[in-house]
Amino acid sequence: MKLVRRDLVSNGPGSVKVVPEEDDDMWHAYNLICVGDSVLAVTVRKVLREMASGGRDAERVKLKLEIKVESVDYDKEGSVLRIRGKNILENEHVKIGQFHTLEIEPHRPFVLRKDIWDSMALDVLQQACDPSASADLAVILMQEGLAHLFLIGKSITTTRSRIETSIPRKHGPAIAGYESALKKFFENVLQALLKHIDFKVVRCVVIASPGFTKDQFRDYLLLEAERRQLRSIIENKSRLILAHSTSGYKHSLKEVLDAPSVMNLIKDTKAAQEVRALKDFFSMLSNDAARACYGPKHVEVAHERMAIQTLLITDSLFKNSDISTRQKYVKLVDSVKDSGGTVHVFSSMHVSGDQLAQLTGIAAILRFPLPDLEDIEM
Amino acid sequence: MTRDVLRKLNYELDYDIYVEYDDGNDIEGRLVLLDKPTSKPGLWHCSICTNENDQSLLSCDTCGVFRDSTAIFDNDSGEKANGKSNNSRASVMARSLFALSPHWLPKPAIIPDIFLAKEAAKSHEKGCIEARFSDLHKIFTSPQRNHSINIAPFQFDTPSPDDIVSAGKSAARNFPKVPLGSTKASSNIIGKKEIVNLLPDNEISNSSSASSSKDNHIDVRESSNSRDHGDAPQIIADDLHRLKLDKKSNNNKSKKAHRNVQYKPEKWMLSDQEEGTLSQLNLAVVGHVDSGKSTLCGRILQLLGRISKKQMHKYEKEAKEKGKGSFAYSWAMDESAEERERGITMTVAVAYFDSKIFRVVLLDSPGHKDFVPNMISGATQADAAILVVDASVGSFEAGMGGHNVGQTKEHAQLIRSFGVEQIIVAVNKMDLVDFSKERFDFIKLQLGHFLRSCGFKESSVVWIPLSAMENQNLVATASDVRLSSWYQGCCLLDAIDSLKPPHRDVSKPLILPICDVVASHSLGQVAVCGKLEFGALRASSKVLVMPSGDIATVRTIERDYCSCSIAKAGDNVAVSLQGIDGGHVMPGGVLCHPDFPVTVASSLELKVLVLDVVTPILVGSQVEIHIHHAKEAARVTKILSLLDQKTGKVSRNAPRILTARQSAIIVVALDGAVCVEEFSVCRALGRAFLRASGSTIAVGIVTRVLELES
Ligand SMILES: Nc1nc2c(ncn2[C@@H]2O[C@H](COP(=O)(O)OP(=O)(O)OP(=O)(O)O)[C@@H](O)[C@H]2O)c(=O)[nH]1
Ligand SMILES: [Mg+2]
Repeated sequence: MKLVRRDLVSNGPGSVKVVPEEDDDMWHAYNLICVGDSVLAVTVRKVLREMASGGRDAERVKLKLEIKVESVDYDKEGSVLRIRGKNILENEHVKIGQFHTLEIEPHRPFVLRKDIWDSMALDVLQQACDPSASADLAVILMQEGLAHLFLIGKSITTTRSRIETSIPRKHGPAIAGYESALKKFFENVLQALLKHIDFKVVRCVVIASPGFTKDQFRDYLLLEAERRQLRSIIENKSRLILAHSTSGYKHSLKEVLDAPSVMNLIKDTKAAQEVRALKDFFSMLSNDAARACYGPKHVEVAHERMAIQTLLITDSLFKNSDISTRQKYVKLVDSVKDSGGTVHVFSSMHVSGDQLAQLTGIAAILRFPLPDLEDIEM
Repeated sequence: MTRDVLRKLNYELDYDIYVEYDDGNDIEGRLVLLDKPTSKPGLWHCSICTNENDQSLLSCDTCGVFRDSTAIFDNDSGEKANGKSNNSRASVMARSLFALSPHWLPKPAIIPDIFLAKEAAKSHEKGCIEARFSDLHKIFTSPQRNHSINIAPFQFDTPSPDDIVSAGKSAARNFPKVPLGSTKASSNIIGKKEIVNLLPDNEISNSSSASSSKDNHIDVRESSNSRDHGDAPQIIADDLHRLKLDKKSNNNKSKKAHRNVQYKPEKWMLSDQEEGTLSQLNLAVVGHVDSGKSTLCGRILQLLGRISKKQMHKYEKEAKEKGKGSFAYSWAMDESAEERERGITMTVAVAYFDSKIFRVVLLDSPGHKDFVPNMISGATQADAAILVVDASVGSFEAGMGGHNVGQTKEHAQLIRSFGVEQIIVAVNKMDLVDFSKERFDFIKLQLGHFLRSCGFKESSVVWIPLSAMENQNLVATASDVRLSSWYQGCCLLDAIDSLKPPHRDVSKPLILPICDVVASHSLGQVAVCGKLEFGALRASSKVLVMPSGDIATVRTIERDYCSCSIAKAGDNVAVSLQGIDGGHVMPGGVLCHPDFPVTVASSLELKVLVLDVVTPILVGSQVEIHIHHAKEAARVTKILSLLDQKTGKVSRNAPRILTARQSAIIVVALDGAVCVEEFSVCRALGRAFLRASGSTIAVGIVTRVLELES
């Protein structure tokens, strides 16, 4: 995201003008814009005109509107934000108080005005405008009969394709059916790869699966690439990486990101930090369960006792809650940081954030054990 | 033997998964250990009838209920440790999870099974309403699905007083928040619902008739000393009222309204004319990677003449060319190019042979850790199993897995939770250890302990030293004197024939979980493979294909690649279908009777036993769930309660984590809907296996189906 103008007081009012540049930025924008903020952008609206003949004519006009935000929708597939609210900028076509929906897309500038820029909002802004490393990784996660194709960016992971083919077991005389079903499956995955993966954008393509499916697929891929002269694949052979996963389901993606060969490539990215933070949480839970907790109630108790060493929290908690809950979480984050703790705000659009969101969205690694958490119901 | 003895013998305790096990009494999870009343010295109180019994008695003189064995262990563990008693117990959990099928249900105890009763009562409901309504519904309901009447064995007329009260108290709180929209909710609920239908349409009469039944109920239990007369009727009234509301809001949703209709098997299903006496036995061959499972299967097939000389010669030649000479026999099972290339089985292979007693269906499973999901989906249909272990030094140990579970262990646990009770342990590759008796005994000791902890009874485990490669002890007794000098037991084939034939139920409506969808020359474009769990099939039968809900007609049936006229419960067959699009038939689906569709759901309440996991299970844990042949990604959405291993009672509500060897009631949400039934309705469709990060983390049963797929 490009920051064009910044005019704000931290923990006070102000506005910024930004231009989202890539798909990833739409997620940042989504997290940045809250109900109650106002957004100013150029938009198109159908207006009715009186014609000289006395009839009426509908015409689409381009105009600048500023609206008070009432809801924000994030369309992951289309990479569009839809912001709905009441107009607050006097205009010859649209009255004040009339409803309008602004659509924000990459490369469309907008001005965001907030009454209070809290530390979370400033963090998101800073992150969004930081041009440093993005993972830009494609992962083909598969098991026999099931494959997912993911693109992993700075703060979002998108599922570009899901391929499911029923593969019969090898079955005596029907063994040929097995081999041909497997071929067909691989072909579908190959087509998805050609369609969705742009080697100019991604750094590499990870092929992951349990067993030998990944090897079989890579062999198929290379063979077919030779046969059909698929240049993009032949030239990027060295950017295909194999990794092990325990299933082809989406949640196994975190194992793939954690595989040494992959982790090396992405170690500075947000996705990698999140994977590691969640892994630390789980290993603490395995080794010393009383030093890890999750769920708002338990985390709160731990915080009251100043026990939080690392706080893990998903961005969705700031997004979906009402204003007072958001403030509560912002306070929690600030206060953990103030007392020397670490805070990881997970993108719920990444696989670890998704897992964290399932675990109520909040968890913590503790400085010292709190065995009595056992006795507090979740 | 008791646990104490085992400790003394210095077994590795971490093998002791299920903590308590059973080796004497084959009572199906029926042993209920209740809080013991304070007893006079020298006497103990029966927890059920409160009779005072002599210390020397292990079960109640009056009613035959087993004594609270914590008392036994407290008081005279020394004596028991000397091996006087066989009456050690399995944990209730282990027993109920790995319940014996009623068919093998033996004599000793007429023990009221409160645990199961409660389970049938959906764990949360009133044990006491059960008795009530099951009686009532016997009176009121002629239309009732056959197996719903399962309630009978639960003996509701004698639950413990404690249970009645505590269950009664919790009933008000815990009564299903879930829609009971369809009759797939278990029998008990069906019973209640029907009563609701029969009652006049206002609350007062509901509550009065309910309370009168409650009074009635109390009368039965004259001996109960503590109970709560006061609020019980009100609770029932509330329940009924809620039920009624639920019913109103949901009755259109019900997919299976006609399940209440009594199912009558047709005549041809019951007739016995079908070629004589050989019954089919689905025999899974499991064990750690490279233990020789495929070689063993191939060798048996070859010895029994199922593989022609010419064919065998071809395998040998080709295997040698690939530099895999030792894998020649396994090629009979490992048919895909990839498997042969690597000398490793990846998916379950099916082969057939006839023994003296059985038509055996061999299910040769992959042993590699990565293929456990394939092993589960291919071998859940097993009736019995051969657990192959590699006797050679280091390999056996690898299968037992030092710190992380090896597949000898994982497979044994899984097989047990498939409901398999009888296993043959084939201690293979004895040639590599010089047919040493010491090695065999060592393995038997180590593994035997573990198997018992899984809930296998000592009497149901047969141990055979053999060598697949050198043909020792396979279909004939060993010829090598190094083996025959100390081993006089039976060979593998005889051991197979000594297995008890599994129970078959043709009287229930058809259920055939689809293991595989195949197309072949003889079978045509759409054919399914799998084992009939209930009912029977013949050509031209109409079947409902779930979850798609399409009707198809059976064209032909093949067993062992030969066409046959009918297939009955227990048979593993290929069924070709017509009148349906192949895309609507998926592995993991179910063929069922058109009037008796199985439930399709994506939210389930499970009773699970957590295996030896390192990472605890949390609310939100992401898992893969296997239910018969279906698998799906899922997450744990609730951990409702932790259960006490011994009593099966709730010991804590909403715990924050589940750790190794705990048992609990949890709720899981599946990413996609699967065909499933409550365990009490259909065992095969009511078992669940949870896996994460490449290991099996929990096994369990479906206690409630929470949400209908509409
Ligand atoms: N010496 C000896 N080798 C054996 C014996 N049985 C099997 N083997 C060898 O063990 C190796 C593995 O055999 P397989 O039959 O493929 O093992 P498996 O258990 O089917 O392996 P997976 O299916 O991959 O789990 C082969 O090289 C066999 O020749 C035996 O009795 N003695
Ligand atoms: Mg094999």
